[in-house]
Amino acid sequence: MGSGVAVNLENVWIKFGDFVAVRDANVSINGGDFFSFLGPSGCGKTTILRAVSGFLSPSQGRVLIGGKDMAGIGPNRRPTALIFQNLALFPLMKVWENITFSMEVKGASAAERRKRADELLDMIALGGQGDKLPSELSGGQKQRVAIARALCASPDVLLLDEPLSALDLKLRQHMRTELRAIQQRVGITFIYITHDQGEALTMSDNVAVMKAGVIDQIGTGRDVYDLPSTAFVASFVGENNMFRGKILRIDGDSAQVDVAGIGPLVGRISPAASAQLDAGDEAMIFIRPEALAPGEGEAGRTLNATVVNEEFEGNAFTVYLDAGGNAEIRMSLANTGQHRIAERGSRMALHFPAGKAVVVPVGELASE
Amino acid sequence: MKSLNLSRLAFALYLLIFFTYLMGPLLVMSLTAFNSPSFPSASPWECFTFEWFSVLWHDNHIREGIYYSVIIGIGTVVLSVSMGLAASIVLTQIWPRFRSAFYTMIIAPILIPGVVIGISTLVFWDRVGRLLGAGEGSALNGFFHNGLFLTILGQSSFIASYAMLVFVARLQRFDPGLTEAALDLGATHTQAFRKILLPFMRPAIASASVLAFLASFENYNTTTFTIVDYKTLTTVLAQKVRLGIDPSISALAFSIITLTVLAALAVEAFRRHSANRLAARLRGGAAGRLLSGFFRGNVPAVLLVLLSMAVIVTAGVAQRYDPTQCKVAVQAAKKAEIQRRIKALQESRKARESAAPATPAPKAPNANSGAFGNVFAPNNLPGAPGASQTAPAQESPSQKPGNGAFGNVFAPGNLSGASDAPDAAPDSPPARPDNGSGFGNVFDPNNLSGVSGGN
Amino acid sequence: MKRKIIFADFFRTNGVLMGSILIALVGFWLVFLVILPQISMLDYSFRFNLPPAQQGGPRDVYTLSNYQHLLYGSDATHQTYNTIDLMVFLRTIVAAILVTIFDMILCYPLAYFLGQSRGSGFVRLLVVLLIIPYWINEILRAFALRIIFGDAGMINEVLMFLHLTREPIDFIRQDVALYAGLGYAYILLMLFPMYNVIESLDRNQIEAARDMGASWPRIHRRIVIPHAKPGIASGCTMVFMLSAGALAAPQILGGPSSLWFTQLVYQWFNNSLNWQQGAAYAIVLLVSTIIIVLTFMRIFKVSMGDIGK
Repeated sequence: MGSGVAVNLENVWIKFGDFVAVRDANVSINGGDFFSFLGPSGCGKTTILRAVSGFLSPSQGRVLIGGKDMAGIGPNRRPTALIFQNLALFPLMKVWENITFSMEVKGASAAERRKRADELLDMIALGGQGDKLPSELSGGQKQRVAIARALCASPDVLLLDEPLSALDLKLRQHMRTELRAIQQRVGITFIYITHDQGEALTMSDNVAVMKAGVIDQIGTGRDVYDLPSTAFVASFVGENNMFRGKILRIDGDSAQVDVAGIGPLVGRISPAASAQLDAGDEAMIFIRPEALAPGEGEAGRTLNATVVNEEFEGNAFTVYLDAGGNAEIRMSLANTGQHRIAERGSRMALHFPAGKAVVVPVGELASE
Repeated sequence: MKSLNLSRLAFALYLLIFFTYLMGPLLVMSLTAFNSPSFPSASPWECFTFEWFSVLWHDNHIREGIYYSVIIGIGTVVLSVSMGLAASIVLTQIWPRFRSAFYTMIIAPILIPGVVIGISTLVFWDRVGRLLGAGEGSALNGFFHNGLFLTILGQSSFIASYAMLVFVARLQRFDPGLTEAALDLGATHTQAFRKILLPFMRPAIASASVLAFLASFENYNTTTFTIVDYKTLTTVLAQKVRLGIDPSISALAFSIITLTVLAALAVEAFRRHSANRLAARLRGGAAGRLLSGFFRGNVPAVLLVLLSMAVIVTAGVAQRYDPTQCKVAVQAAKKAEIQRRIKALQESRKARESAAPATPAPKAPNANSGAFGNVFAPNNLPGAPGASQTAPAQESPSQKPGNGAFGNVFAPGNLSGASDAPDAAPDSPPARPDNGSGFGNVFDPNNLSGVSGGN
Repeated sequence: MKRKIIFADFFRTNGVLMGSILIALVGFWLVFLVILPQISMLDYSFRFNLPPAQQGGPRDVYTLSNYQHLLYGSDATHQTYNTIDLMVFLRTIVAAILVTIFDMILCYPLAYFLGQSRGSGFVRLLVVLLIIPYWINEILRAFALRIIFGDAGMINEVLMFLHLTREPIDFIRQDVALYAGLGYAYILLMLFPMYNVIESLDRNQIEAARDMGASWPRIHRRIVIPHAKPGIASGCTMVFMLSAGALAAPQILGGPSSLWFTQLVYQWFNNSLNWQQGAAYAIVLLVSTIIIVLTFMRIFKVSMGDIGK
């Protein structure tokens, strides 16, 4: 693997009039990587994708594909293929004509195209369906046709703009696996845009988390999930409990934060933020619901709260607790056969393991 | 309950009135195309005849008008559809701040009176011609005063707006992502336009073309100014109708109505057919045998075939049908009636003269509300009386020697009908037997200015 | 996402070749077929009618005389008004407004019925029936009415048969035929825009209103008409502009003694060969109709973007 082509964004700014859609983006994507841009809608991730594919040019900065500056090169001459959010299959062309459109515009003969289409149709397990119209296919089939159409152009980089968002949950999960498998088979660079953190985490080698035009963090899915660098990343990727307080003391990579109504909690300082935090600063400490468990723990890793509500979700229980103040706490417990967790209104002690709480500077949270 | 029924009844009555208003005139006009009197009327019914279709067919002015109307129509379709398509594409892409101003500009030509468009086109290109130094009689001057050129431009200026509206409606459902996808897959912009946008717009282009052609074909207000020394069907018709009316125009209208109905049925039939085929395809069944499949569950298709057959049969019958007998009978009846009336008139005059000599003559034909009398009453022939009535009679009989329906245009009965007119209406001037063409008078400049001046 | 497109982006989206073709076509249309012709007509209207030899010469100066002619006639002292032409103008405008109102009232119930009862074969039949007269030539439609309204026409026959009148009524001279013909000529341009907007009204809104006990007049006043306003405005604008600018119907159906304003324009152009005077009259017609339409649009709070929908 790793035969794909690298994509680099260097100090890319994209403005529409006074509105800054992308602010100083610096991203280097390794050849053959599955790279995701993750962020809420309107954060500028699609804009970045359009700059890579050539539908718009950055107001400032450079886009390099395979080390080559793409300025002045239109989308039809870039080695990229884009899979659109709505797939953009040509409704009036048959499936095989859709797939081989990139050959048609280069003047390939019908026989040649038909042959290539059949190969690709076999690859996506739609053999014999080439003469249908896109409207006669199911959602998942359309998805695969769109992928085959993009791959037919033999791109160095495949760009995917939330292609799974229109599918239902089951199919979406299936397509995740399939996309990852296709990427590993063809070995080219995939750049994937999504607002669904589950998709980003399951498929990607690396993830960039974006907020309002700014890239907050780039790293592996694990890094982003376990060691978010900002309050936004912590609250956007996955569920999280947030507590706010003043840093009492910093001890190497851990900090003790005094949370009003709960007391001091000890957490690991996010590596990217260590330079920004000092004793006495306001800070936020994040603890994942699944990191919490009932029972007393060590000092600084225990908190007491009142049970407010409890929801059964099949594979897990979610317990809502009130720890005084405004902090609502969520605890997620795997369903191991327990009958119920606690009485409503009862007082309960919770603890979390070392390293499972992350301290970041105070910042904007992802809105629900 | 009772009030519900009452309101239903009221609504049914309203529908009846509405559709009578809409269809009644057309139906009556269609009937007059088959009635023998030379003034178009449905009653009294004299003789069923196809002769007006023959008159229409041999009318060179109408033929010429149709010829130029078609040329102008084609030119207008090409120009207005391309301009309308371009404008609709620009409209979807224009800076939002300018969108409403741009929309106002491209929709405005619909609202400008056609007369104004005609005049402004004429004035502007006349000036362009002079600016370019095109002297009187030069080729360039001829070009800028060419009626076909001016009419195509004048008509396109507002027909393009109609086309634009059709395109905008379709473009709203176009996903610009499709064009981007094509570009992304390596197509040039021209290829993307030709292979993606154009096929998507094809139905809209077809309907806009039909719309543009029909709008051009029936335009009068603009054309009458820009056509200069050419003629189109509408300007010929307008001349005819203003200067005196004759049932051959009804025959033309009936032909157009028939064609429209046939076209509407054909469109509906094919729409139904493709809908049926799509449904069959989605059900997974075979498309079915071509012909039987076409008619199954397709009422318009059946109607279309029936109506076409009716038209063919009628045309065949028309070749053989000869209403001469009927006409002779009607003529005789009419003559007898007139004789009777003149006699009555003379008698009453005599009686009155003996009683009170100063009394003016009564308006005999009107007083007698009889159907025949009115047809030839002087005030029934506004415009240029007589001219069009006697017109068919002036055509050379050698044109159609056959003994079919078309031959009897020149049947003696008809001739005498025309020559009866002056008897019954002594005020109307006799037709001038000038240049032999049926409508010579219509285009006589003196006649023209006289009528439009007094209009 | 906010996307503003300026020229560079226009060419990026469409390519240089296609972009140029699009701009050229739209530019030709707007500049050479709409804007410049109107401007040159305006310019013409302020000039004297000179023989070709004197055009561009010292006597070719701007003048208001063409407009003064409409107000005062050829009377150079401006003492008396040109009552004939002014009356024609007034009559044209008032009659066009009346025709518009007549068509609006006549069409609304049918537009509502067609728009709210969807799918049935009867409704489709009605729509097809409506489309047929739409494609018959305006002149032929006027001709049809002339046959009907003539002295020996259907209507007089019927009236006399019923002994409602002893002598044929001269509908042409009374202008009844003209008004009926104008209403007839453009009625479908009123119906179809109304029908289109009413069709887009959610039936549930009406049912909700009925459920809350609203009477039918109230439902129409509070729900249907506000929703249909753009279509009604669109239809009224078209019918008014087309009636005021009609030429064929007045020529065919108009009485010999009463003229339509467009006929004056026509006479200046084609009979008097005084293009300048004709252009001035045309400008008066254009400007006054536009002012009237804009005034009504202002009163009823309709925007230009609603027209043509």
